[in-house]
Amino acid sequence: MPFRLFGPRAFHRVHDKTRRRFRPPAWLLSLIAIFAFWESISASGLIATDQLPPLHEVLLTLVQLAVTPFFISHVAQSLANVTTGVSLALVLVLPLALLVGMRSQLDQALTPIIMLVGALPDLAILTFLVTIIGRGNVAAVAISAFSAFFPIYFTIRQGVKEIPADYFHVASVFRAGRAQTFTKMILPSIFPNLMTGLRLSFEFSWNVLLAVEIIASVAGIGTFISTNLGSSTHSLTYGLAAIMTVGIITITMDRAFFERLENRTKRWH
Amino acid sequence: MHVELSNVTKVYEDPPETVTALKDISFNVNEGEFLCIVGPSGCGKSTLLRMIAGLDRPSSGEIRFRGDPLTAPHSKISMVFQTFALLPWRTVIQNVEFGLEIQGRPKMERIEVAMDLLDMVGLRGSENLYPKQLSGGMKQRVGIARALAIDPEVVLMDEAFSAIDEFTAEALRAEVSDIHKKSRKTFLLVTHNLPEAIELADRILVLSARPARVKSIVGIDLDRPRASTDSEFITIHKDIFSLLQAELENSLMRHRLGELQEFKKLRDMEDR
Repeated sequence: MPFRLFGPRAFHRVHDKTRRRFRPPAWLLSLIAIFAFWESISASGLIATDQLPPLHEVLLTLVQLAVTPFFISHVAQSLANVTTGVSLALVLVLPLALLVGMRSQLDQALTPIIMLVGALPDLAILTFLVTIIGRGNVAAVAISAFSAFFPIYFTIRQGVKEIPADYFHVASVFRAGRAQTFTKMILPSIFPNLMTGLRLSFEFSWNVLLAVEIIASVAGIGTFISTNLGSSTHSLTYGLAAIMTVGIITITMDRAFFERLENRTKRWH
Repeated sequence: MHVELSNVTKVYEDPPETVTALKDISFNVNEGEFLCIVGPSGCGKSTLLRMIAGLDRPSSGEIRFRGDPLTAPHSKISMVFQTFALLPWRTVIQNVEFGLEIQGRPKMERIEVAMDLLDMVGLRGSENLYPKQLSGGMKQRVGIARALAIDPEVVLMDEAFSAIDEFTAEALRAEVSDIHKKSRKTFLLVTHNLPEAIELADRILVLSARPARVKSIVGIDLDRPRASTDSEFITIHKDIFSLLQAELENSLMRHRLGELQEFKKLRDMEDR
């Protein structure tokens, strides 16, 4: 399947013989309208340009930033942090969620506690973590792992609980060992849940991480945004461009990676 | 003797209560025989089969296979499930290969065995479909092919035709009967469908209501293929049906005596 950023149906009408005229997707029209509104407001001087820079400047800066090594390194640092955090969470959660999903007594003992911890505000935990670990990437990774923990835990636990008992019987009758039962039966069974969990985790973590970078002043795109959202016009433009970059990265990750993986499971479900 | 059960008892304990599902069950299954197990619903037929599959253990008593005690799933005992239990992320052929894959057989051999079996159950050409693309009858054909792929000596079938529409089930029964005749493997079928049991079985084991005991073992000495309209067929049906009916009344009496709760409990425990 070729990679498409905004859904598979966006341009299919171009090839339609009965309609040779190009029909842009609806979202593109809305986007153009919003951008036109923005541009006209700053051009009319209704809002001063040092408070709302013209759109074309922001977009130009965005393109410039995209090729600036300093900016790219900040983005890469953030992505590395969130990836490390989510991976760490996955490694910790997977065995726990599997056990809990299969043993209802353990589930009853642990899940309420985990719900309780999950209800604690991430950002409050963050300040707590920063006082213990100190500022730096470790704190950033730790908090991103923390916020990734819960979505993965609950989706995998649910996935394991939903495995039909007969699948376990099939594995036993054909004499699959523990490892084989895991790789050939449990893992494929929970794969869709795992994908949903990772997708949610990534979203949670990514948002929290940007906050962390700002509060704990860790190198990353969040710091870049906060330092550039200063007083001068130029910096505000940079900040807005960086925020847009975050949005673009988020939607790209979601579409390019998670949605494709989820689509794979649609073949059998 | 191929499979031997001696004094098999199954007790479910859920303190402070204990429920006896099976009580002192003893019978033998001969090599190459088609044995059907019938009994009132909830009497523990499926539990019995699961114990022979090694999925469950008797509380007391012993199950032997080829003379050796059976305590875990055996490589020569295979099973067909009522729910088909096909793995949805695997294609038809990958499902059939499952047991061989677990055994670590080479890919070429697996494909060869699986294709032969798919041929036999009439699914050649569908090997790359996913289970969701199949009808119930086709799914069970895959289930049967999967069970046969490991070349078992004993094939256990737990209500294998119950989740399929009657016309398809009829055709599938004929095929299973044919497979049995050709392969001379031992077949054990648990069913609540009495005509089905009479159509397929060399012998029918009739279980009593819970706690299940062996009520009777009936040899079916009819020529195959058997038609349910034959007078002998009807006579056998009548005989076994009256046995079952007595049991049914028996179990209904127990309902009235307030054991309904316990009944449900047993069923829940069995479901687990």
